Amino acid sequence: MSNALAGAAVARRPRVSPRILREWALFGLLAFPNIALILMFVYRPLLTNVYYSTLDWTLGSSTARVIGLDNYREFFTGPDAATVLGTTAIFTVTTVGGSMLLGLLLATVLNRRLVGRTFARATVFAPYVLSGVGVGLVWTFIFDPVTGVLAGLLRMAGLGSPQWFLQPDLSLTMVIIVYVWKNLGYCAVIYLAAMQAVDRDLLEAAAIDGAGPVRTFVSIVWPLLSPTSFFLLLTTILGSLQAFDLIRIMTPLGNGTTTLMYDAYLQAFGGYNRAGYSAAIATILFVILLAMTVVQLRVLERRVHYA
Amino acid sequence: MTTHSYLSRRSLLGLAGLGVGAAALSACGGPSTTSGSGSGAASTDPNGPSFDGVQPAKQITFWSNHPGNSEAVTRQIIQKFTASTGITVNLVTAGSTYEEVAQKFQAAQAGGQLPDVVVFSDVWWFRYYTQNSIIPLANALKAAGVDPTDYRDGLYADYQYAGAQWAVPWARSTPLFYYNKSDWKKAGLPDRAPKTWAEFAEWAPKLQAVAGAGQHAYEHPALADYAGWTLQNILWGYGGGWSKKDSFDITCDTDQSVAALQYVQDSVYKGKWAGVSNKSATDDLAAGACSATIGSTGSLVGIQKAVAGKFQVGVGFLPGGPVSQSPVCPTGGAGVGIPKGIKPENQLAAAKFIGYLTNPESTVAFSQATGYMPVRKSADTSSLLAANPLIGTAIKQLDVTRTQDYARVFLPGADQEMAKSVAQIVTQQADVKQAMSSLKGTLEQIYTTQVKPHLA
Amino acid sequence: MSLDTMPPLAATDVAPPVRRRRNRRRPDDGGVGRPTLLGTIVGGYLPLALATLIIALPLVWMVLGSFKTSGEVLSQHVVLLPHHPSFAAYSRASSQVNFPRLFLNSTIVTAAGSIIKVVLAITTAYALVFVRFPAKKWIFLGILVALMVPSQVSLLPNYVLIAGMGGVNTYWGIVLPGLGTAFGTFLLRQHFLSLPKEILEAAEIDGAGHLTRMMRIVVPISTPTIATVALVTIVNEWNDYIWPLIITNDDSRMTLPVGLTLLKNVEGDPSSYPILMAGAIVVIVPVLVVFAFLQRYIVAGLTQGAVK
Repeated sequence: MSNALAGAAVARRPRVSPRILREWALFGLLAFPNIALILMFVYRPLLTNVYYSTLDWTLGSSTARVIGLDNYREFFTGPDAATVLGTTAIFTVTTVGGSMLLGLLLATVLNRRLVGRTFARATVFAPYVLSGVGVGLVWTFIFDPVTGVLAGLLRMAGLGSPQWFLQPDLSLTMVIIVYVWKNLGYCAVIYLAAMQAVDRDLLEAAAIDGAGPVRTFVSIVWPLLSPTSFFLLLTTILGSLQAFDLIRIMTPLGNGTTTLMYDAYLQAFGGYNRAGYSAAIATILFVILLAMTVVQLRVLERRVHYA
Repeated sequence: MTTHSYLSRRSLLGLAGLGVGAAALSACGGPSTTSGSGSGAASTDPNGPSFDGVQPAKQITFWSNHPGNSEAVTRQIIQKFTASTGITVNLVTAGSTYEEVAQKFQAAQAGGQLPDVVVFSDVWWFRYYTQNSIIPLANALKAAGVDPTDYRDGLYADYQYAGAQWAVPWARSTPLFYYNKSDWKKAGLPDRAPKTWAEFAEWAPKLQAVAGAGQHAYEHPALADYAGWTLQNILWGYGGGWSKKDSFDITCDTDQSVAALQYVQDSVYKGKWAGVSNKSATDDLAAGACSATIGSTGSLVGIQKAVAGKFQVGVGFLPGGPVSQSPVCPTGGAGVGIPKGIKPENQLAAAKFIGYLTNPESTVAFSQATGYMPVRKSADTSSLLAANPLIGTAIKQLDVTRTQDYARVFLPGADQEMAKSVAQIVTQQADVKQAMSSLKGTLEQIYTTQVKPHLA
Repeated sequence: MSLDTMPPLAATDVAPPVRRRRNRRRPDDGGVGRPTLLGTIVGGYLPLALATLIIALPLVWMVLGSFKTSGEVLSQHVVLLPHHPSFAAYSRASSQVNFPRLFLNSTIVTAAGSIIKVVLAITTAYALVFVRFPAKKWIFLGILVALMVPSQVSLLPNYVLIAGMGGVNTYWGIVLPGLGTAFGTFLLRQHFLSLPKEILEAAEIDGAGHLTRMMRIVVPISTPTIATVALVTIVNEWNDYIWPLIITNDDSRMTLPVGLTLLKNVEGDPSSYPILMAGAIVVIVPVLVVFAFLQRYIVAGLTQGAVK
């Protein structure tokens, strides 16, 4: 229903008439500044990066050695690949799943006409707009097993604090919790927007037919939300795979939290200075992002319900 | 209603094609490539460039991360420098950590505006040397009229390699043994730091006996907090080390080194009197979560402030080990150097500035403001001692320091690898010998692939 | 797959239009059936309050921390409220950082960057949806792929380029590399595709040109989505850290998040924590104000969209 106009534009074979030329010129005027900027500051670096990934290059050094695919070979045959890819997968799946699920639950609550929901809506969205650096800082103070407020509360309950910053698994858990905390408001607000658009007559009809709230949600609301779910899935996966600030502030060593993105940072700037190897990891990350998107778009094509 | 443009493999190939067009745009910048091995860096004159007939520039730039909140005091020193020489210095905040300064400096190497003076920590200057991006300072200092013999020998020697001087000491610190005097009293211990780690192992149970719930007699420094730095103390005490003195011969898995780290592991798992700090051991000490720890001298003033009279803080020399009692204290902190790719006039002005920045008067003012160590022999430290008696211990310890192991400071990323291995030992009870053998392999690989090809 | 079927941001645009009778009030319009008081509390207020608390408390904790002494922050016992609340941390922070100047820089950079980006996103998306041009899908695809390039990748090459153009320590040097906007274009394109085409066709018949249609029709009825794009853009520009750090040299161009680093001490000075928290609050508050302002548009738009 949405794209008749664009579809029509494609279907009508454009004959090059002055009118069409004018349209083309207008298109250039409107779109090309942005396209040029993207080419210049996104695509050009991307290609430069692919080129760097074929070098044995110490960052800061003025010379480098061409080594072909050795960096890629090293990554995939070395001990890093399994850990880094595993961490990336766990981090992505849990943060995406966590923020979407909690966001959905929160949205169903926010969708009810409750006193104070405007305030609640603003509050839950707030962490999303805060800088990762600031958020990471606050949460390290909270999680600190000695001076943190969480440890203090546990102590009051007679419990010891987990060693959040020492155990790799716990470090990952901690970063995941904070990441979900920061992003679930985004999912909630967008789900909320979608829910408010659900036709009330449909819900009333379901109620008259005797469907309970759960049943109504599963068979009416959820299918209607599927375009939104896919939009969120796409954007949150892109976001999670590129998560950086929080990890850097909370676990600078990356002990247990070295995702692909963070590994690319560590290898170039975190002390190792291996610019070529880092570029290879960044390229791998890009390919994964691209593949995820392609898969999602294809699934989307098949699955999404349009009313 | 859908149209039929599928995002297929073919479309992606098409995209790649689109990319080739942009490839032409991407040519500028980056390194020049060779097919052989990397270039040697030490082919330059060990005394550095000559400054005969060069007039100092009138304006220079100094990149700093203001270690120890030093921006204000640095500006004061700069003002005096400008008043006496007419050279203005533009002080740039190049990051909050040494890593960020390095990131900016290395980006500038790839094509940008270089500073005239740059700060770098113990683990960074050697990389700049191998990357051929800083100059040897002998000639520059001479031309600027700076007397190098007045620098504290140990601190000055830290920046020597291949017969050349690559930096001068500026914001220098060492580790210091911190303890909680009231805990010491409760446990009936003499009011001093332990002489050896063996002695502390006898004291620790007494401390632990009077410790509160969740409190440890000792805390090992946080792993992200440069664990590889302070641990050199125990390693050296046991006759081990990350590498052999002044050599790239990795010794982290020798019997002595393993024994030292076994002591560390046992303190956590057998003696159960030591913990490992999650974020900052000195914070934990200030919060009363441990009775003693090792931390930088630079934290001294901050700890005293944060303790705020809750208890008395004591400090002492780092304990020795069964093999060596002294020197077992590594040096640390940051120095300043001069980049290679700038004009000789600027290099000369920069040399004048770093001489002034670290002259006896400036270094005392700097120490007073930050808690870093005075770097000159002739510095008059009486005002420092009067202001804070504990600083005297830190200054005295400077006489018994030892230059750090090459493996930690000269191998890119070694510090991180060491911290990770130690993490396995003290948080997952990994077998010490095994962890160290694997660390050795990693370090040797870093050496052969990233350092050796760049050495002459 | 068809890119056109990709869902827009607000599913108001995709889901069937709602014929909500706004004047018909209900005590609780989210659930179905007659809600009980208990049900409203357990299923509504309780989770609402819980979620709000979980989100808000860490922020409140930081605000409290900025009024404490370092001894109170560094304590094993939870010190809930500062015993002697003081602005000492704020005054020490502002003695170390030239906040007014940095605030000005951040405002200039954020305003310039966001305005240009939003305008570019609107024009590009409009062109992609409504203006005739060959291979538009490919162009869109190219823009979409730009979303997937990790930011890490562009740091070094862009620095080399901007430095070569003399952009170090300039406002334009901070802003320029981020101006190309893939995210905003993506969102707005999806949204424009869902606009009721009848309105635009009617306008075209009335002789309105593209620019008129864009400014008079498309932009006004897309306020919520544009506000969303603006919000995300402003937030990103304001919070950007690594790039301004690398490209600026001194107070005259430095932005607030970069200035925050002046408060951190590499030697781990425990007495600086309240100051750090104070600094973080100074950086965060302006974004929250902008958000509070914009979210009214976004939310108002959401309900509006539901009525259309």
